[in-house]
Amino acid sequence: MSAAIPSVACLGVIGRNNNPLHISIFPSYDPAANTFSPIRNPLQFSLLLSSTIDVFDLRSKSSTASGDFGLLHAIDDRLAAYGFETNTGVRMVCIVDMRGRRVEAGGSGVAGQGSGAAGASTVGAGLRDSELKPVFRAMQSAYVRLLQNPFYDPDEHAPLGGKGGRRITSKKFGDDMKRIGEAWTPGVTTL
Amino acid sequence: MDGYPLGSLDHNVPLIVVSGLRSDPPEQPPKAKGQVLLRSDLPPLDGNEATFLESYFEEVDERGKSWTAVTREEHYRVRVKTVGRSLVLPSRRATLPETIEPLTTPPILHSPFSPLSPSSALYPDGLMNAQWIKKHQEEIPSIFVCFYTLISDPKIAVQQDNRLKSALNGMRATLVESGYKTRLVVIILGDELARTNLTAEIIQDRLEGVRRGTGLDPKSIFYIPPQESTSELRRVMDSILALLYNTAIEYYRDLGRHARKKRSRGIVPQPTLPPTSGTSQTLSLPDWNFRYDFKSAIFAEFRQEIDAAIRSFEQAYEILLGQDVLDIIPSWSPRWNEARLLADIISIRCLRLHLWMGQTSLAVRRWQTHRDRISDFVDRRGRGTNNYGWQAWEARWAMVMANMIELVEVPGFGPSTMTIFLQPEKALFGERLQPWELLHHTGYWYRIAARHLGARRSLAHRIPDDDRGAPDASPASRVASKAIRYDTYMCPPPHEEYPLSGNGVNHAQLMIDCLLNARGQFQARKQHRIAAEISLECAREMATLGSWNEVLAMLRPLWEDKSFRSEWWLDISEDILWVMRRAAAETGRADIVVAIDWELMNERFTRRQNWHYDLAKSLDGVSLTSKPFITISDDLASSFISASFAFRTKEGRAGETCLAQLSLKSEALQVAAPVTLSSIRVEFEGHLKPITLVHDSDLPTNSSKEPVSVTAVAETKDEEDEKEGQLTGKCNITLRPGHRQVLEMNIPLREPGQASASRVILTYKTETFELDYTLSLSDLGKVTGWFVRGAAKPRLSRPDGHILHIQPRPPKMKLRLVEPLGQFYANEPIPLKIGLHNEEDDSANVKLDIRIVGKIIPRFRVDAGEHKREVDAAEEESQVTGLALGNIGSSSSLELSIHLDPAPAPTVYEIQIRADYHLESDAATPIVQVLPIHLNVVNAFEANYDLMPRLHPDPWPSLFDYEDLQDVSDGDVIQARGLAQQWCLVCHYASFATEDLDVVGLDMVVTAVTPGGRCRVVSQPELSADGMIVAPKTMYEARFGLVAQKVTLDDRHPVAIDLAFVVRWRRRRQVADGESNAINATTMTVGQYMVLGTEPRVLASVLHSSQEQSGLVRLDITIENPSSHFLTFGLAMEPSDAFAFSGSKQTTVHLLPMSRRTKTYRLLPLTRGVYIRPGLVVRDKYFQKVLRVIPTEGMKIDKDGLLVWIPPAPEAEE
Repeated sequence: MSAAIPSVACLGVIGRNNNPLHISIFPSYDPAANTFSPIRNPLQFSLLLSSTIDVFDLRSKSSTASGDFGLLHAIDDRLAAYGFETNTGVRMVCIVDMRGRRVEAGGSGVAGQGSGAAGASTVGAGLRDSELKPVFRAMQSAYVRLLQNPFYDPDEHAPLGGKGGRRITSKKFGDDMKRIGEAWTPGVTTL
Repeated sequence: MDGYPLGSLDHNVPLIVVSGLRSDPPEQPPKAKGQVLLRSDLPPLDGNEATFLESYFEEVDERGKSWTAVTREEHYRVRVKTVGRSLVLPSRRATLPETIEPLTTPPILHSPFSPLSPSSALYPDGLMNAQWIKKHQEEIPSIFVCFYTLISDPKIAVQQDNRLKSALNGMRATLVESGYKTRLVVIILGDELARTNLTAEIIQDRLEGVRRGTGLDPKSIFYIPPQESTSELRRVMDSILALLYNTAIEYYRDLGRHARKKRSRGIVPQPTLPPTSGTSQTLSLPDWNFRYDFKSAIFAEFRQEIDAAIRSFEQAYEILLGQDVLDIIPSWSPRWNEARLLADIISIRCLRLHLWMGQTSLAVRRWQTHRDRISDFVDRRGRGTNNYGWQAWEARWAMVMANMIELVEVPGFGPSTMTIFLQPEKALFGERLQPWELLHHTGYWYRIAARHLGARRSLAHRIPDDDRGAPDASPASRVASKAIRYDTYMCPPPHEEYPLSGNGVNHAQLMIDCLLNARGQFQARKQHRIAAEISLECAREMATLGSWNEVLAMLRPLWEDKSFRSEWWLDISEDILWVMRRAAAETGRADIVVAIDWELMNERFTRRQNWHYDLAKSLDGVSLTSKPFITISDDLASSFISASFAFRTKEGRAGETCLAQLSLKSEALQVAAPVTLSSIRVEFEGHLKPITLVHDSDLPTNSSKEPVSVTAVAETKDEEDEKEGQLTGKCNITLRPGHRQVLEMNIPLREPGQASASRVILTYKTETFELDYTLSLSDLGKVTGWFVRGAAKPRLSRPDGHILHIQPRPPKMKLRLVEPLGQFYANEPIPLKIGLHNEEDDSANVKLDIRIVGKIIPRFRVDAGEHKREVDAAEEESQVTGLALGNIGSSSSLELSIHLDPAPAPTVYEIQIRADYHLESDAATPIVQVLPIHLNVVNAFEANYDLMPRLHPDPWPSLFDYEDLQDVSDGDVIQARGLAQQWCLVCHYASFATEDLDVVGLDMVVTAVTPGGRCRVVSQPELSADGMIVAPKTMYEARFGLVAQKVTLDDRHPVAIDLAFVVRWRRRRQVADGESNAINATTMTVGQYMVLGTEPRVLASVLHSSQEQSGLVRLDITIENPSSHFLTFGLAMEPSDAFAFSGSKQTTVHLLPMSRRTKTYRLLPLTRGVYIRPGLVVRDKYFQKVLRVIPTEGMKIDKDGLLVWIPPAPEAEE
């Protein structure tokens, strides 16, 4: 008997000019084929990420001091988008697949890299906003590390007053995102 | 929500039937056996009240259909059916079918809706159907309300009452006999006369009579007296309905109780006839329990008891999906789908109950649970979930939720609230919830539905062709197998879903409907990006339908507001662009096709395989009526050509030229064909004319493989367009992908000011279309630097390289002041000579402006050869403009003069002389030279003054001399006969000029004297004809003798005199033409002095003896008494070492009014060449006051007294 637990389906960083800076897509468990594959195609993930901007804009009126927007919206009964905004207006979005990972009941074996104990306790249950905090903390520190790179020019990625901007090309940042997305599972406190 | 049987999902509220409001023909006695007819023969109500009540009940009925929650504030929510005077109730017992053989025992008959009755659709093993709910909601009322009139006419009142009684009794009896528990209620309206004719007691008595005669409950009879207005009537009816509502609730409580009682019996009732067809199965006990629970739940819903309803529904649901009911129904049996339908209905009703209670998250959970359980069932027992039928149901199930949210009107969830999802209810607050369990707005639900519809279509398209044929065309065995293989629960069978021929289900249209619903919701909540995404999905579906115009209409707003593109969501933009291009190509919109092709050439988009990427082929396959001229700009479609413009220098001068570069970079995909532009036009903001570059294929192309090529372009003035001065150039403008072409040109600068390159228009022409693409150059960040041949990277990047400051051409015309004067003085005319010297290389056409600013500008005259202008005095500003001086040849000069009239007082003038000119050779470049002159006009002289008394030599007129005093008028002149005084005004003046001046005259002018006095100047200094040289900053003295006299002796008032000192002077410089310098007069006011007072005064005067040797001095002390009193003075002379004297040492002098007397002392000074101090004291005897002795010539005074100058002895001179 196996049960599904949430996993990260996509991590996105959106720049100040509402431009995509980074998109990482993670495979989800497909029970029909018993394989891991992304639940949507990259175009659909782009659309999902861009759709969160509206929610950010809508919610920023009632400001959240910490920048943590929690649940932005659930796209359907499987995918839900969580968001975080830095002081500089960079937005981080985590799209969670609520049935993205399989876990054997009893907590012995967990598919993927999740920790067994945490996985077992959360089988079938929902998700609290606070459980996504480690993801955003890790994403933010990865972003801070990126900013510390003297060759990274933030203005190039979100020109002042302008439109658009380049994407982040740093491999290290991409690896960080990959690590965060793969390592997160409900109950993980540090990434 | 459609698709579920009619009435199965209605919001159940008590049903009330109202009779007697309209005159429907009475129902015929029932044909069918067992039906019940309630009727009375009394005429129905008529008049306004009846029509009002009818519309009122319609309104109430309409409200009763609402799905919103019934709150405590709402006093009643009922459905109302109005009938005439009769009502037919369905038969309580089903009849036996006529085909069966007569039975031996009398049959036990059941309700026609029961599965026990052979006539029922449920017979023998159906569970439940909507018919039963419908029966309660629409046919059997909880209350039967009869309206009657209370006739007030006393003649027929008794008869009427009796008829009423019998009618009511008849109906009651019928009801009781039928077994229905419907309550009978009578509402009696008073007729119009009731108010006047009937007293309350009579009415009371009559009503009581009716009630007693019919045995009605007091609560079931109402009387409505005639009302003033319809609103009153409405109020009364509202309160009656509120009361009836309770009665109705009671009725459904009884029914509910009955259902529970039957359940608690725990026996399986036997059908009237044992089934003989089908499986011959009958319902089992769990089936019956399900029926009873379902019934109690429905009755609870009738009573609006939500908790009870949920409990019963859930119980029924559990039984239904439990092991004993659905599990044992075979999936091929129609009962299986019926059971699924029941499960759906129960779930929908539960969802609605949850939403009514505000348990939004529980509702979502319930929604999910039902889906999961059904999916589990279908997988286990049915035909699986991997078929179109299941997806159809999934879509339906999502739609159900969306419709439900709309119909129930969940509070705080309207589009205006901008709420995306609701927070969970309190009961679930701390729980770990699935994100989806927070109720999202209907847009999300519609989207899910659309998604499942999409899945349904793709599954439908996988149906093998064998199954898609019509059933009558295929062998029966295949039809049977098809029935087993396909889940057709609430959806058409495969041959209708996706037929081999003809149209099946229009999935795309279903999806579009869903998506449009969703889009409306998202747009209302300002979730524009999701709305855009849905538009895109919609457009894709429309594309599958081939309705390209709709696709275009759907995507055009997205394309025009550049959503996604402006924010660099490239993959999304790309998708939109390709869909849109296809639609535009299909509909023949050449402009959009070309704009999109232009945009998609950019290498930041991914390459599409087998696409030509050639603008020339853009319109291939697009049907066009005429050759289109297309104009697009970079704010509509971004470009694969980036342009930047840079001036070589930051500043330039008018009349010179400036190098500039236009750099065009093609960022097209590498596979794209090179683009040859036919012309480029660069436009500027400010003082530069546009430049046009035309393609010339004869010129060499940049065949080099270098990424950057720099070409110099020589422009020529467009001869035909001389005025515009348009510049055109020729070059080869072919852009290869990734290549940067830099066009360097030399631009002549004309007008001063700022010029910035604003936009560049690229013109592209092919045989099929012409395109103008406008690129803005003014955006910051687009500017690159200066390209140099051979280098790939630009240099000297300036952020505002596209801006050039054009300085005005430096004027070489010299303007100067000829023979400038150091200083100008007041009261002197000011001549200015201006010289113009043309140092330009060419003759110049000059116009002059002269402008003078100051406090008061005097009249002035400009004299420039044949041009003369005069301007009158003005305040603050005065000017001469546009004084044409004509041509001044190169290195020749011109002089003009300006004459200003004398200024009355010191002042300051600012004079600006401005020469506007242009050279003969370059008429388009205006040049300006300006000469500012600052003129400070000052006073040439300053002076201070001292008025000293002198002794008037003439004797005073005597009071006793009659003739002297008497007026002898000779002519008009009245000879002055009053007292006279002589004064001496000493003027000390100094020149404040910067040079020596000639003073040619000094005058004293008496400007004003008090009436009754006279004053004249008796002596003034004489100057030679050539005048006196006055050096600057040196004091000079001038003495003027003045005599003041009163006209009459009687006048005792002092006299005020005003004096002015006039210096007449001229400049000493030589004037060339021999004409002498003009004499200027500077007048300085001296001030006012008071003379001829009435106080006595003592004047001392000395007279040196003619014998110089002796040195004898005569000192006269003259005491004047101008007052009208007799005065006595004591004189005392003290002896001194400095002199010896003769005269009374001490004496008394008496003075008559208006008289003067002189005492004489003779002094013999003992020293010479010094001042001696005679110790003379004059004392007013009466006032004991010492009078000051006033010195005159040769004397002075200090604080100790009088001093007399003794000239030195003549020996000293020898």
